[in-house]
Amino acid sequence: MRTRIGSVEFANPVFVASGTYGYGTEAAGLTDIKGIGAVITKSVTLNPRVGNPPPRIVETASGMINSIGLANVGIDRYLSELQPIYRNFPTAVIMNIAGSTPAEYRQVLEKAESVSSDIVGYEINISCPNVKEGGMEFGVSREATARLTADLRGLTERLLIMKLSPNVTDITAIGKAAEAAGADAVSAINTLVGMSINPKTWQSNIFTTFGGLSGPAIKPVAIAAVHKLYRQLTIPVIGIGGITTAGDVVEFALAGATAVQIGTANFRDPAVGIKIRDDLEEYLAVKNLTNFEDIRGRVRLWS
Amino acid sequence: MINESAPIIENVRLSQNLWQLKLLAPGIAKATAGPGQFIEILIDHSWERPLRRPMSIAGADNDQITIIYKTFGPATKSLSGKKSGEIIDLIGPLGNTFSGYEDNSHFPILVGGGVGLAPVLWLHRKLVQSEIKHILIIGAQTADEHFLADNPRENIYLTTDDGTLGLRGTVMPVLNKLLGEIAKPSIYACGPRAMLKAIQAVAVIGRVPAQLSVESYMACGIGLCQGCAIPLATDNNSRNYSLVCRDGPVYAAEEVSFA
Repeated sequence: MRTRIGSVEFANPVFVASGTYGYGTEAAGLTDIKGIGAVITKSVTLNPRVGNPPPRIVETASGMINSIGLANVGIDRYLSELQPIYRNFPTAVIMNIAGSTPAEYRQVLEKAESVSSDIVGYEINISCPNVKEGGMEFGVSREATARLTADLRGLTERLLIMKLSPNVTDITAIGKAAEAAGADAVSAINTLVGMSINPKTWQSNIFTTFGGLSGPAIKPVAIAAVHKLYRQLTIPVIGIGGITTAGDVVEFALAGATAVQIGTANFRDPAVGIKIRDDLEEYLAVKNLTNFEDIRGRVRLWS
Repeated sequence: MINESAPIIENVRLSQNLWQLKLLAPGIAKATAGPGQFIEILIDHSWERPLRRPMSIAGADNDQITIIYKTFGPATKSLSGKKSGEIIDLIGPLGNTFSGYEDNSHFPILVGGGVGLAPVLWLHRKLVQSEIKHILIIGAQTADEHFLADNPRENIYLTTDDGTLGLRGTVMPVLNKLLGEIAKPSIYACGPRAMLKAIQAVAVIGRVPAQLSVESYMACGIGLCQGCAIPLATDNNSRNYSLVCRDGPVYAAEEVSFA
């Protein structure tokens, strides 16, 4: 199930999403992550961030809302403490970057590029709904996305993946802007803006009021986004949104995804990615397909 | 940290809203260090409710663990309907433990409120077994929520908000009275936020060493999502968060910020 994105070949198309697997280093003790195609780190910002006040999470029907607020150790500590662990790491690591200004994204990328490291690329978070200046304002604008992508493209030869927001009028336009500016791939979707209120106490269940909805509830929105992007872009689309089974992965592939990321499901079972990978292999064998690539975009439409 | 499929040995109602679940979980039981730790329990395998529920361990020996839980919403209500033999998926043991209660330097006063009594009850049983003198105070809203017997002569004090069993009021009046009578007390507490906040105030002012087991909403329970962060007390206006699942749930009373 080897999967190619840009110049990188991954062992399989099943990745774990940013914010659901720490920095990749903790998980190695919990489950055998060798079987996961890639770990995408928690978003790293220029300065350390403590995150939002609690409550940060609430379960919702077939999903959850989170407003963690990009809590992370900051690029300097990330590089000094964590990156050395990536040497001889059992799986590929993609670093997720978030920022409030184009300069911040650039500085983080420059610092990351300045150390020798084994990461294979970067996923740029221009779609986090949980901080006032968290990048989503870039992801809702074609021009801002294009400019940021072009800026960062000039700083690295590693994989550059733009993570798109569903909270836009036309995700395809954003995706095309990223492609034209040199992105190697796009990933879609980040979380949907959601809200939850306790009817007994009248209290908002999330401190920041609005947060990001994820989990099985959003899968149809994600599949639609992936398919729209697949139709118009030539670069790979990495699908994210509510995956819990191999069947979900197949659905994303049929819609056009080259690879997928599992997020919320990891909270129930950090080994779910491995199980899905195994089931996917079995699915391909049963269907007499040799490559995951053979499924891509093959959805049969009615019209 | 182990993922274990545990058959139910027993699932019985203790009081109006508290249930006791005994599970055959040798892996987790053997790995559990002591009162304070918790497990993340998967109540139903459908994805309608994606997240596990964190529950304090109320006992662990040989191959069994005991959980005391409150029927709070649809998930816990469905848990109370499960029968012996049904298998529950667990992740645990998680978190840290109460400590220092066996060194005989202080006289332990254990305080449990609501479903917070789970780890406190286990601590009580351990101290009984080790023959370490201590006091147990359990608070609830009304008599129907209690399942232990009020027995001050045996150092077990029950309180009810409505006075229908034991002392009327919260746990604080009897705690304050005992703190005045005991030379070198220490406090071990688990319960509602308001109770812990009140105990913190008394412990800090009276310089009584106190450990609080706090609660937080959790997603992963294993330190990956950062959903369970609580604010710690800081000297200045800076914000400092701690992950309850990884750094707690037991904290020294003065560490936590209830602001």
